[in-house]
Amino acid sequence: MVEEQQEQIKTKNDGEEYLRVENLVTRFFTSKGIVKALDGVSLSVKKGEVFGLVGESGCGKSVTATSIMDLIPDPPGRIISGSIRIDDYNILNDLPRLAKIDVKSETDVRVKRNKKLIKRHNFVISKIRGNKIAMIFQEPSLALNPVISIGKQITENILLHNRVEIANSIIRRESLTEADIKSFYEQIKDEKGDFRPLVNSWTRQFAVPVAEDEIVNILRSGADREMTVRELSEVIMGKKRGNDLNVISTMRDYYKREEELFNLTLKLLEAESQNDQNRIALLEQQISNLRYNLKKDFSSFLWKRRFFRKKYEAVFEDEARRRALELLTLVNIAEPTRVYDSYPHELSGGMQQRAMIAMAIASNPMMLIADEPTTALDVTTQAQILDLIRDLNKVTGTSVLFITHDLAVIAEMCERLGVMYAGNLVEEGPASELFNNPLHPYTTGLLSSIPRADVKSRNEIKLESIPGSVPNLITPPSGCRFHPRCKFKMDICAEKKPALVEVQENHKVACFLYSKEVEN
Amino acid sequence: MPVKKRHPKLEDYSHTLRLLVKNKLALVGMVITIIYFIIAMLDVVYPRYLGVSSTNSLLAFGIPVSVTPVGPSFSHGFAGLLGYTEMYSLQFPLLPISLAAIKFDMGYSLFIVMIGAGIGTLVGAIAGFKGGYIDEILMRVTDVFFSVPFLILALAFIFLLGRYIIMAVYALLIIWWPIYARLARGQALYIKSMKFVEAATASGASSARNIFSHVLPNVLSPIFVQISLDLGTIMQLFAVLFFLGVISDPYFPELGNIINQGQNWLGAGLWWPVIIPGIFILLFTISINLLGDGLRDVLDPKLRR
Amino acid sequence: MELRYFIIRRLLLLIPTLFGLILLIFFLLRMFPDTYLVARYINPKSSVPVSVQIEQAKAALGLNYPIFIQYFFYIKALFTGSWGTMSTSIYTGPVLSGIELYFPATLQLAIFATILSIIIAIPLGTYIGARPNSIADQTGRVFSLTFYAMPIFLLALLLQLVFGKNVIVGNPLGVLPIAGKFSFNAIGAIPPPWFNASTGLTSPTHLPLLDALIHGDWALAYSSFIYLILPVVTLTLSLLAGILRFIRAGMVDSANQEYVKTARSKGVPESLVIKRHIRKNALIPTITVLGLLFASLLGGVVVVEEVFGYYGMGMLSLSAITNVAIYGVLGTTFVFGITLMAANLIVDIAYAFIDPRIRY
Repeated sequence: MVEEQQEQIKTKNDGEEYLRVENLVTRFFTSKGIVKALDGVSLSVKKGEVFGLVGESGCGKSVTATSIMDLIPDPPGRIISGSIRIDDYNILNDLPRLAKIDVKSETDVRVKRNKKLIKRHNFVISKIRGNKIAMIFQEPSLALNPVISIGKQITENILLHNRVEIANSIIRRESLTEADIKSFYEQIKDEKGDFRPLVNSWTRQFAVPVAEDEIVNILRSGADREMTVRELSEVIMGKKRGNDLNVISTMRDYYKREEELFNLTLKLLEAESQNDQNRIALLEQQISNLRYNLKKDFSSFLWKRRFFRKKYEAVFEDEARRRALELLTLVNIAEPTRVYDSYPHELSGGMQQRAMIAMAIASNPMMLIADEPTTALDVTTQAQILDLIRDLNKVTGTSVLFITHDLAVIAEMCERLGVMYAGNLVEEGPASELFNNPLHPYTTGLLSSIPRADVKSRNEIKLESIPGSVPNLITPPSGCRFHPRCKFKMDICAEKKPALVEVQENHKVACFLYSKEVEN
Repeated sequence: MPVKKRHPKLEDYSHTLRLLVKNKLALVGMVITIIYFIIAMLDVVYPRYLGVSSTNSLLAFGIPVSVTPVGPSFSHGFAGLLGYTEMYSLQFPLLPISLAAIKFDMGYSLFIVMIGAGIGTLVGAIAGFKGGYIDEILMRVTDVFFSVPFLILALAFIFLLGRYIIMAVYALLIIWWPIYARLARGQALYIKSMKFVEAATASGASSARNIFSHVLPNVLSPIFVQISLDLGTIMQLFAVLFFLGVISDPYFPELGNIINQGQNWLGAGLWWPVIIPGIFILLFTISINLLGDGLRDVLDPKLRR
Repeated sequence: MELRYFIIRRLLLLIPTLFGLILLIFFLLRMFPDTYLVARYINPKSSVPVSVQIEQAKAALGLNYPIFIQYFFYIKALFTGSWGTMSTSIYTGPVLSGIELYFPATLQLAIFATILSIIIAIPLGTYIGARPNSIADQTGRVFSLTFYAMPIFLLALLLQLVFGKNVIVGNPLGVLPIAGKFSFNAIGAIPPPWFNASTGLTSPTHLPLLDALIHGDWALAYSSFIYLILPVVTLTLSLLAGILRFIRAGMVDSANQEYVKTARSKGVPESLVIKRHIRKNALIPTITVLGLLFASLLGGVVVVEEVFGYYGMGMLSLSAITNVAIYGVLGTTFVFGITLMAANLIVDIAYAFIDPRIRY
């Protein structure tokens, strides 16, 4: 079992990175001084992996998560420098041009923002958030909008990112023919054993999943070929809504162009960050052409949409509702239709968090940031939510950045682990390695501060807590920020900041006990 | 990071003041309010700086001339700097009478708000802390007070008590305390649910002791903000009562009264009998609101950074 | 479904409030010395001795009964329309008929001002609240602070000065009439039958604009409209300033909430975050103070009626005060109270409509 797990970890270690954060520096400019919340955090999460981030409260875990989502409230906070690569695109590539920060003194900082660039940055980031990376929060009762129904909050996400795909599936459904059904039957009739998965994927493809059970029943009835096909087409054709295909394909084309425009904007931002003048000029030209054509080609559609917005949206909302109900079922909510129409305050904490998860995964993001998703819940619900997140990770292959201060949860959930202290990542490595062989004095202290029943071999470690508390980040300690609390403090610790270096295979630590490397 | 909701403690007051001074608008509000205080004090202590022995009646300023009142100019000395107004065939220099009026406007507003806040806070804190039927009665009584518009209720009470200045003050007091009672009750309920009060009760503290040592100190900062915001409203109401002519004292130095008399000249195109005393009211109500907003910003834990 | 139950419950709650209001009015009445109340029934020239007359009047007014019996009598009198009579400079007759004549004008001013303020305040408040500390926001704050802090009579007089016709000679802005409900020139030499020349009121609604429209008298309708502008603008500016302050504060507060972060984390574009997620929540605290703002608006209506000579219930109330017409004062106070209660009812229903949490 253990070997198998290790095998898994090994293969995953070779996997591709989905998220890569480098030297992230985030600060908050407050009336009491500058809070140096993140001080050069680097970490990476691979595809399909669950990465745990652990540390005392106030050590910067949440700030890291918020920074990765680019959700730091400005004012007072700002990401100062660093890079965040999500699916190989650096969302911070225009960071230096967004604002000029003029630090006069600790309490007097002037930020001059470039509104135009910030607007473009927000536009780009809003297409990435929710779509490529999503987040669930600690307190679902606060994180759900109290005045919007659960269903509306989920469909909002679906309608933001999946327009083209929704339009395509509606078009597929509406243009289904007898021939399609025949070929589907041919494909499925020789299938031995359970044909449900095949039916399921087919119905999804043609946006008729409501017919899934009926189709299965017909196929099971064992009637002859002609009869079955006739019955099938009767059922499936009955699910058509009779939407105007012209309108929907126009809309599909429009949203496709919008996506193209977005991709070009991404390229432009990349070119700008590389200062590649020729490419910038070319891309700007392309973008303005595309914009012009978009307005020209779709002028009548845009006009109509302005006045009949409800009518145009209804088709999409209908499909989004169907998907939202599916999502609610996926996160193990028993009565999806009831929950769909209810408001957050009508649900229990566990249900709220499930709804929150359904909302986060609505657009199939490949990465989920879970910021202490179980802290506000009671113990039995905690376990269910953790199971749910793990299942989602297994089934959909979504990477998870799991933030918690609860080491027991980390041990259960995560394959790889990062330990944070006062805005720094101090140790990083496979979870089992870190639990069995912690290197950084802080990690050692953190692990020994909880009673452990699972590791018998380390009985010699006494139950002890780390003396002192998390430092004030307005005036953080010099050098290694942990040194005032460290048992193994050396002279160099107060002077220089240790770099995070790989001291064993896949195991990195930032401590002068193991290396003499210094952060530049 | 979630910000914990808490009430500023004593040691935070210097920080509060620092933040308040940093907020430029609040600073301006505070300075102007202080200037008004100084003027009011001067009126009490040295009325002869305004050229009279007492500022308690406008008659002291009256000049018996029968020409159209002249506008603001430098040619009539300090008194005539802001022009003249006329009432009951006497002329009055606008600057001195406006300054004299500040004393009463400000003094009575302060008196009403302070006493109203005092009574209301005490009643509300006791009701909120004790709960039960006391609380229920208080809520019903305040409901009744809130069911009639303030000005209308004030008019009715003045009508009942008699159309004199002091009765106007009483009337405003009667309609104003319920606001504070509600506010203090809400705060008291909130504080009652907090751990340290529970601990004090468990260790045998009497409810009187609890109210005075825990509840009252903690309701003070929202009450304080409310007072500073209400001061302007009360002054407006006070002036409105005079403006409507329901107080039968034509020579009472009060800005609403002066404007009421001055509006007769509006038809003749004279703006200063209305605008000059109007600016004196406006400047005060704006400043006190700026100060109140600033206070709320620094005292509200959510906005405090 | 749930909303319906909420409304029914809220309507039932009106009953105790109504009796509380009546109790207040009754309290005001009974605080007057008995001699005050019976004075008008005394005829010193009559052969009957004054002391007997006093006793008779007391008996007739029911002053000899225990106080709570009197309270029930008073409730009965109110519900049967016996509100007493009044005699003042602007109206003499039964109080209830006087209110019926003058209340429409008051209600009209209040409703116009409320609707206009809300229509302007929501988009404006959203715009400035979404951009805290921007130039638009600073301007908006100065505007709302000034008009919020300005006593309403000063605002009314200021508008008269700037826009009033013939107030300042040669003022190009001075085009609007400053007093009255319409120009008598618009009536014509032969007044229409629905115009009562002695009271200056029109039938059937007593609102000149509405009545003129009902009867198709365009000249009078136009004139009434022009005369409405300044009073309504005064009230609107003052109410708008109050609402704007709260919407802005609500926007700023709501923008810092977790659910806004969630919305952004979903990838909701900024404009939709503001419209869909921040604004709806920002309106909740605004709605809770709307009742209070409406109360001060009704006070403002009294002042505006006085300044612009727009005869309504406020003027009726003021004339009752100056002419010592007890029942006039009590009757108008009662109706002002009822109006505020109705406004609070509407506010609460709007609140329940926006905030689903309140419906349970």
